[in-house]
Formats: sequence, structure tokens, C-alpha cells
Amino acid sequence: MLRTTINSLSAHKLRTALSVLGILIGVASVIAMISVGQGATYDIRSRVESLGADLVTVSPAFRVGRAGVASTQITETFTLELADELSKAPAVRDVVPVIQTNGTIKYRDRNLQTTLMGVTPAYPSVVNYPVARGRFFSTQDLESYAKVLVLGSEVAQQLFPDEDPLGKEVVLERAGTRFLFTIIGVMTSKGQLGFGQYDNRVYLPVTTVARRITGDRTVNFYNLRVASADQVDEAIAQVEFILSRRISNPEDYRVRAQQDIIETVNQNAITMTFLLGGIAAIALLVGGIGIMNILLVSVVERTREIGIRKALGAKHRDILWQFLTESVFVSTLGGVMGLLMGVGVAALIASFSRWPLIIPSYAIFLALGFSLTVGLIFGVYPAARAARLDPVEALRYE
Amino acid sequence: MSPLRPLASQDGETMGELFHLEDVTKVYKMDEVEVRALDGVSFAIQRGEFLAIMGPSGSGKSTVMHLLGCLDRPTSGRMVLDGLDLLKASDNQLAEIRNAKIGFVFQQFNLLPRENALRNVETPAIYAGARRAERVRRAKELLERVGLGDRLFHFPSQLSGGERQRVAIARALMNDPAILLADEPTGNLDTKTGEEILALFQHLHDEGRTVVLVTHDQRVASYASRILHMQDGRILRDERVN
Repeated sequence: MLRTTINSLSAHKLRTALSVLGILIGVASVIAMISVGQGATYDIRSRVESLGADLVTVSPAFRVGRAGVASTQITETFTLELADELSKAPAVRDVVPVIQTNGTIKYRDRNLQTTLMGVTPAYPSVVNYPVARGRFFSTQDLESYAKVLVLGSEVAQQLFPDEDPLGKEVVLERAGTRFLFTIIGVMTSKGQLGFGQYDNRVYLPVTTVARRITGDRTVNFYNLRVASADQVDEAIAQVEFILSRRISNPEDYRVRAQQDIIETVNQNAITMTFLLGGIAAIALLVGGIGIMNILLVSVVERTREIGIRKALGAKHRDILWQFLTESVFVSTLGGVMGLLMGVGVAALIASFSRWPLIIPSYAIFLALGFSLTVGLIFGVYPAARAARLDPVEALRYE
Repeated sequence: MSPLRPLASQDGETMGELFHLEDVTKVYKMDEVEVRALDGVSFAIQRGEFLAIMGPSGSGKSTVMHLLGCLDRPTSGRMVLDGLDLLKASDNQLAEIRNAKIGFVFQQFNLLPRENALRNVETPAIYAGARRAERVRRAKELLERVGLGDRLFHFPSQLSGGERQRVAIARALMNDPAILLADEPTGNLDTKTGEEILALFQHLHDEGRTVVLVTHDQRVASYASRILHMQDGRILRDERVN
């Protein structure tokens, strides 16, 4: 039986190859898409997780702007003092108030637009972000409003392509005012993380920023490190209680745990994977229609052969099987080749984007199962048509 | 039980009635118009007979061939092969009967173009479910008997007309059928090759096989021992020759 299949498929090599190609592309894209979706998810998740699941962020809500008044953050009550207040919560280990502003950093003839992050010495441990070289600023620096800063790895690389930035003096320029700062450290590389690009920032004492640069004691948000990972919910409750005494409207602030963000990322990823996989599945369906098309042509062409086989004693099911075998053979061959191709494409994309190569086993079963099913479904109709042919008519066919 | 009976051992089956047709009609419906291809045909074929069915085109001889070959069922009448009522047989039963009892030889040879000579001869045994070793051995034996022992692996396109028809005859004999049914077997051959093929049928008849030739050619029919003359869907004359 298989020999008959191979014989008739090899009689039309180009035609068979094109049918196989249709399925191959479909299966390959299903595999590649699912793998890319999974890889990207894993990447984003691992970066979010690198901050630690026990990180809690307290941020002010946005006030809706109306009638020419721009939307603003509700920051009046978000002050450096509130940070001390929040750190009294028993389930909270550290609180880092963050003032975020923009400025230009200049060294000799180079300058760079960057984000200035006013933080406290606890910051590296709170967001899991250690110093690579030099040191982070100390409590002493904080108390003395020291004009020291630590560069994100990207900033260091761009501003000092072939020099050691440690100990160098740079100019910070914000709103027309210039300040002279000394570089005391360079952070490790953390990579892109959602909306926060840690590597493109500059870190300086929050007190220095408040007093010398912005002249304002309000902060943008607080990063909180929970005492232990299983106390996240407790910490949130305590923080919300403290905030409720200061801020009457609970809509005015948001307390979010890193865990929630991870869950959101996961959910988005599932949606993305299914979307990509779904689009790829359509390609597979089109491949199936290709098989059916070719098989229908083949049935007509081989009407006489079918007549001969029937005259020699082939039953309904013999003819049905013959054509169904061809269709399933083509689709399965396409499926296996598409699997290899899909893994190859996924590996290529993964290596370019430096994602991990993840091919879930369900994707393999899905792709192979789907290609087999496509072969069966789109093979049945042409095969049944062949099997139903009247032997007398079929023998007469020229 | 092997589906392949040994060759040339027809003892005990060489006598008696093989085919019985009684008042058989066949009506084709073509766009509201009824065509009466057979109009009350009755005859019987005995085992071991060499019968020719003769007539011009449109006489109904092709329809008779299709009915004898179990490719089609009559519209009405009675038709029995080897004790089996063909009017009541299902499509799959007819396929089984064709496989086991009928050996076809066609004017167009009708070999499977993508299979070699050996595979072509094997095909009826494949549908009968015979084991591979057994059917290959038998197919080789049959090809040797028709003089093609050195052409086993040639494809139809590599064979001459006469050789193709010999392959077709070997294939017809594969499942040791009760009847050899040949439709204008020399129609596409030159005179000399045609005579060789007819001599082969003669030889098979001498071995005890039942042979039915359908032809419009008097010279071909003259090989038979009985000639049925047909015209307008009826039997005109049933002639015994010696």
C-alpha cells in the first residue's frame, strides 16, 4: 500500500513538493510563533522577577485634567517624610522614595539626555540591582546632600566609550541650571524591563535632588521591600492603612506588588501566544486546502487507473485508503519537516533576540496532530469521490 | 486457506454451467431519454467454453461484457454466476467477485502505468490479501509462462503492445479466475502479434479455462467454439463452430 502511495507521489514530484510545502509552512509557523511567544514571555517574566516578587510599589494616581488644566499626579502628600512613616510598617523592610526627573549629563564634548533617579542607599538591595564598579552612595552622602552620582551601564558606555568614568566630574543640566557631580560608581546591566530602562538612568541621592535640583520634597513613587516573600499581602494592608490616615481618598494612590505585574505579564503572554498560534494555524489550514485541491485534480487524472483497480477487485475502502494514505503521507511529511523548520526558525529568532529557546511539548503535538488531521479532513472528500466512481464510467475515461 | 489456488488445476470444476442470464435488460438513463442497451437477453456459459460475442458497435456487446465482468448490474432479469445472484450483490460483493472469478483483458491493455510488470500482475492478489512472498512467486511464474520472464521489472511504457497484452493476460490469471473476459484484445495490435495473443487464449482454453472474447472482428471470433451474434440489444444468432 505504502509503495503505491510513494509511486504515485513521486510521479508528480513538483506537485507533491508544493503540497508538502503548504503544510510545512503552516506547521513551521505554528511552532515558531508559539516558541517566540513563550520565549518573549519567559524573557519579560524573568526580568520582572529579577526585581523580586516581594517588591511593592506605591505610586500616586493621575488626576484627570479638565478645561485646560493638565492632568497631574497627586503628589502633594508624597514626600520624603512619608517614606519614614511607611517604613514603620512591620512587614516592610526598606522604603526607597524615588524622585524621577529628566536632565542632560555632559562630559567634555559629549552629552546625553537621561533620567535622573533620586533614591536612597537601600535602592540597590530593594530592586535587586547591584553596583558593578565603584560604590553606591552612602547614608552620609544622603545626609550631606553630596553631589555624587552612579551611572547606569548604558549611560557609562555612551558617555565614556574608552575612559574609566570612576572619579570623573560631569555636568548635570536641568531647566537651564548646571551642577557639577562626581561619578562614584557604575551599575550592573539589567536590560529593558517593561517601561523602566534601568541602564539608561543616572542614580543620585534623593536629598540632593530634592534640595539642589528640583527644589521640591515631593517624590514620584516609593519602592518597598517586604520583610519576607510571604508577607506581601500583609505589607500591602499595612501600607494602605498608613496611607489612608494621610490621604482621604483611596483612589488617589496605588499600591502594587511585583507579583501582580508578573501575573499581568503572564496573561498578556498567553493571549499573544494564542493570537500568533492562531494566525499560524490559518496558514496550516490554507496548506490543507492546497492538498485537497491537488488531490481532486489527481482523482480526475487517475479516473482510468481507479477504473482498472476496481476491475481488478479493489473495493470502495481500498480506493478510499489509497487516496487518504497519499493525503496523510503528504501532510505528515510536511508536518515533520515543518517541525524541524519551525524549531530552526525559533532557534534563529531566539539567538538574535537573546531569548531562551522554548518549544513546549504541546506545540509539537499540536502541530503534528493538526497536520495529520488536516491530511485526513482534506483527504476524505477527494478520496470518497475516487472511491465512489462507477467502474464502467471510469474505465471509459480517456 | 490461501486465496491463491494452484495453477491449472480445474478438476471437478471443468463441467457444468458457469454463467446464467435470463431475460436480462439494461436501460441507461441519459438526460430524460432511456436507452435500452439490452432488451431481454438469455443465454448460458458452460465451464471450459471458448465463446465469442460478436456484433457492430451499439449492438449491446459491450454492455454484456460489463455485466459478465460484474462491473455493472442488469436493470431487470436474472443473472447468476457460479450460484451467486448478481442482481442482489452489493458493490463490495461485486468487487470481491471480480477479484476472485473474473480475469479482464482489455483492448487498451489497461496496465497501471507507474507499476512494473511484476507489480501489475501482483495487483489482483494484493486486493485478495495474499501474502507478498506467495504473490511474487506466482506473478513471476505467470510472467514466465506468457514469455516475459526477462521483463519482470520493465514498466508498461518500456514494453511493446504485444508484451503489454501478455502482462495483462498474466494479471488476468493471477487469482485463477473462473472466466477470462477479453474485450477486443487484439484491437490495438498488428496482425501477427494479434495472432500470437489469440493463440495464447487458444492455449489457455485447451488447458481447460473458460474464455469469452468480445469482438467485432470475424477473424478473431473464428478462434472460438461458439459465437453469439448480437444486434440492437438482442441475440441474433447463437452459432456453434467446430
